[in-house]
Amino acid sequence: MTEVVDIDDVTVVLDDRVVLSDVDLHVSQGEVVAVLGPNGSGKSTLIRAALGLAPVRQGDIRLFGTPISQFRNWQRVGYVPQRSTAASGVPASVREVVAAGRLARRRPFQRADARDRETVEQAIALVGLTDRSDDRVDRLSGGQQQRVLVARAAAGDPDLLVLDEPNAGIDQTSQEAFARALRTFVASDRTVLLVLHQLGPLGPLVDRAVVLDAGRVLREGPLPIPADVTGMPQEHAHSEHRETGLFG
Amino acid sequence: MIVLADFMQRALLAALLTGLAAPAVGTYLVQRRLALMGDGIGHVALTGVALGLLTGWAPVWTAVVVATLGAVAIELLREHGRASADVALAMLFYGGIAGGVLLVGLAGISAATLTTYLFGSVTTVSVGDLVLIAALTVVVLVLCIGLRPQLFAVCQDEEFARAAGIPVRVYSMLIAAMAAVTVVVAMRTVGLLMVSALMVVPVATAQQLARGFRATFSLALLLGVAASLTGVTLSYYVDVAPGAAIVVVALFGFTLAWPAGSLLRRQRFAGQRAETGRRGHVAAEEHVHEHDAECGHPGVPHDDHVDYLHGGHLHARHGRHYDEH
Ligand SMILES: Nc1ncnc2c1ncn2[C@@H]1O[C@H](COP(=O)(O)OP(=O)(O)O)[C@@H](O)[C@H]1O
Ligand SMILES: [Mg+2]
Repeated sequence: MTEVVDIDDVTVVLDDRVVLSDVDLHVSQGEVVAVLGPNGSGKSTLIRAALGLAPVRQGDIRLFGTPISQFRNWQRVGYVPQRSTAASGVPASVREVVAAGRLARRRPFQRADARDRETVEQAIALVGLTDRSDDRVDRLSGGQQQRVLVARAAAGDPDLLVLDEPNAGIDQTSQEAFARALRTFVASDRTVLLVLHQLGPLGPLVDRAVVLDAGRVLREGPLPIPADVTGMPQEHAHSEHRETGLFG
Repeated sequence: MIVLADFMQRALLAALLTGLAAPAVGTYLVQRRLALMGDGIGHVALTGVALGLLTGWAPVWTAVVVATLGAVAIELLREHGRASADVALAMLFYGGIAGGVLLVGLAGISAATLTTYLFGSVTTVSVGDLVLIAALTVVVLVLCIGLRPQLFAVCQDEEFARAAGIPVRVYSMLIAAMAAVTVVVAMRTVGLLMVSALMVVPVATAQQLARGFRATFSLALLLGVAASLTGVTLSYYVDVAPGAAIVVVALFGFTLAWPAGSLLRRQRFAGQRAETGRRGHVAAEEHVHEHDAECGHPGVPHDDHVDYLHGGHLHARHGRHYDEH
């Protein structure tokens, strides 16, 4: 089995605080691995470290077998950072934001070609925002903006998707649509590493989960992991009230 | 055709170049929420000007060097900055202007000369200045337009840009350096204290009317040129500092665009509502769009109307997208 993400004994220190200590995480090709745990347990830091975005004090990180410091094949990675908004100081259209997902495949001063444009339209269709492609992202709802970020990662046609709470603010039905999109993605033997606040409709897709607590791996293994260990509210509590708010 | 004095031709040409360069860089600064960076660089550039006046070197050159150093320092502070970043920035601003005034005092330069740098002057653009301004503007425009996708990605979402393999630091420094160069380009027409307005106001105006980044960028350049040409012409006839005239014209444009923008949005909204109405779903237009993501999934209980709208259609697209791989 090909290893896609290798995190060995990694310790991350931010501002003199040990945020991750001796964390191990291995993801093989075709797997869907979820990182669970309470707020502040280091989930985002772990996947940021996996992408070389967090300073690693100690330990070893490899992507597709290459040490992270030498990794250059960024077009193989699609990243959805943890954000509540896709907006920035100047309005950008949905299409413009999603098109940024093709940049790992383009050199500076190189223009977008037909294939770039086509893939962008497909990624927008994938998240169901085709009729909003020319609209400003900052005029979309929080959940729709989150979908724009997922489309941006998908537009790069990556082999590994890294998603940080892609379901935050997305309602139940949209989550189901997202779960289906993800299912097609992994069906072609591609890999997903994602942080989840709640398993929700994505639960059945997840092969394996890692539960973090205070920067350490509390538990690792196949689902289901009892809710009291994940430190998360029980699943049914969420289906009772259909929240569409930012952290619904 | 009116025959213009030589100095006025040079002033107008400088205004044209400034009107292009300032909003081009300004768009990226505003997108990064660094709208006041131009202002900070302007303050620091004053020290550069004073250094030039004191030593006898061309103030434009010394200003380019000092402003670029200041911009890089600001960028480093921003990058490493935590809570104290804006305080550190403020100190750099005040240090810049105090240093400038101090050096000007030592050199025995008159307040009138200083004013031409602070608020611009139509009579002082030399041929040498103009050549340098033109060269710098061309470089800034080529970079701002040619690297637009990369610069856009860096300004929009640094984390994502890093994970796409874009050297974010290099581009951040490039933006800082371009901002510094633009401040100096604009120094002769709008002046160091007003330059930030020409970087920010046309962008803010364009935002009211445009829907995308590219459209905002292009419109901001157009508005920037219009404001600086009008402002310089105005200052010729009314004999006020061109910087003030340009900024007043730019702000006037903004006040016009504001109601125009709301009207435009209301029209678009009405258009969307009409469209929604034709589809027989008047209740909530936002709702229709939310349901797009469902792709007409049969397992989800929702009304027939939405199914009719989107059912199957998006599924097919899923298929196409992934069939390719
Ligand atoms: N840039 C940073 N500097 C200092 N501390 C940080 C930084 N980013 C995150 N932390 C701290 O690290 C811990 C883990 O954060 P994070 O990985 O975002 O947690 P999670 O994603 O699980 O909610 C938190 O206590 C947070 O305060
Ligand atoms: Mg997090």
